[in-house]
Amino acid sequence: MSMKTVIRALGWATYIFWIILLFFGATTAYSAFQLAHGFGFGEPRTSTSDGTVTMSLPLYINNVGFYDIVNMNLTTLIRDISGSPISDSSTFVQLIPKGQNSSMMHNITLNVNSMTSSQLSHLLFADSDLTVDASLKLDYARVIPLGISTNFTMPWGAPLHNLTIGHISMSGTHATVPFNFENHSFFELNGTMRLEIVDNLGQIVGQGTAPIIAPPQSGYWSSVDVAVSGDPANIRTARLYFQTSVFSYGPVVISLA
Amino acid sequence: MLENEKPSSLLKKMLPRIAMAVAKGVLYFVLFYALPVLVISQVSQFAPEIFTDYVQVLKVFAGVLIFFVVAGELTRGTIFQHALNVGKAIVLLVFFVLAFNGGVIDLSVQGIRIGVDLTVFLMMFITIDLIALARSLLQAISFMQGKAEEQLPAPQPVA
Repeated sequence: MSMKTVIRALGWATYIFWIILLFFGATTAYSAFQLAHGFGFGEPRTSTSDGTVTMSLPLYINNVGFYDIVNMNLTTLIRDISGSPISDSSTFVQLIPKGQNSSMMHNITLNVNSMTSSQLSHLLFADSDLTVDASLKLDYARVIPLGISTNFTMPWGAPLHNLTIGHISMSGTHATVPFNFENHSFFELNGTMRLEIVDNLGQIVGQGTAPIIAPPQSGYWSSVDVAVSGDPANIRTARLYFQTSVFSYGPVVISLA
Repeated sequence: MLENEKPSSLLKKMLPRIAMAVAKGVLYFVLFYALPVLVISQVSQFAPEIFTDYVQVLKVFAGVLIFFVVAGELTRGTIFQHALNVGKAIVLLVFFVLAFNGGVIDLSVQGIRIGVDLTVFLMMFITIDLIALARSLLQAISFMQGKAEEQLPAPQPVA
């Protein structure tokens, strides 16, 4: 083979590679722009069970591009204002073939029971802002890894916001203890509250239980009837224990002096 | 060789080359700068933050290409043409690696970070460029070989 033939062959190889590159580049760019209109989110839904609150976010993808989407991974990491992690959820889709629709449900699970830890218990009583780190990773056309990430804040409504005990009315040894709070959360509080009354010696001198049914975004007022032993003048503190379908927490100590 | 010719005949010889160099320069300017910038200005209406930075990259790319095509045309038929082709391949190799940021491109648009791994494209560009480099080197060798053969004494008939 003469040198001129080799030079000519290399010239043709260059042209062929350029054509492949331009074709692949153009179709990939076109598909990417088309795909940007193919993403959509549905109406989020919430559900509670066994101490966890699950926010389900429907995600629709219409892959109108020329290439498959593989290994798609949607991740959401939720942290409180101090950076402590609250939830880490991810949804993985192996393959979205070209020209096909795909729908999936991204479930963000909040373990409210874990919020009763000392680091996160403030979220039960005070409204706050949560930081959400969301990221989407996928391989487009099987060879182009793509990552999109963002972070934003979302308001957190405390389920026991402004928990207070009102004026205790005594009738002999019988006390009526009014209490109230505002359920600012997006889930219903359903369960019981146990109240212990403690005297200045640290002894429990009375206790009672009240049911709680507090719908989301509502105030709740109720009272607990307690039979108090000993001198009512010695009552110093109240200890509250919450047992709900979403979390168990206690004691919350409130001074009655 | 051009250096041994009279100025008038040199000018005669150079004029068509200059005309061709200008024509090629204008063509490359339209193809590799004006048209892409037009496309980018249309597309960048959707996300100006992404595309505006790439106009600068495109300017450099078009500048490099136009310089080498004009210089190559002016030095056509000399070893400098092949040397320039080799130079172009090497400069474009470095340019592609820098323009693609090593293959991984990070962008930030309105608080959204986008990372794209374009290594496969970079590899394709590098492959094309290496083939072009090999071709230019072979062309230079072939050119020198031709020149050497021209300078050999004509074979004498055997008595």
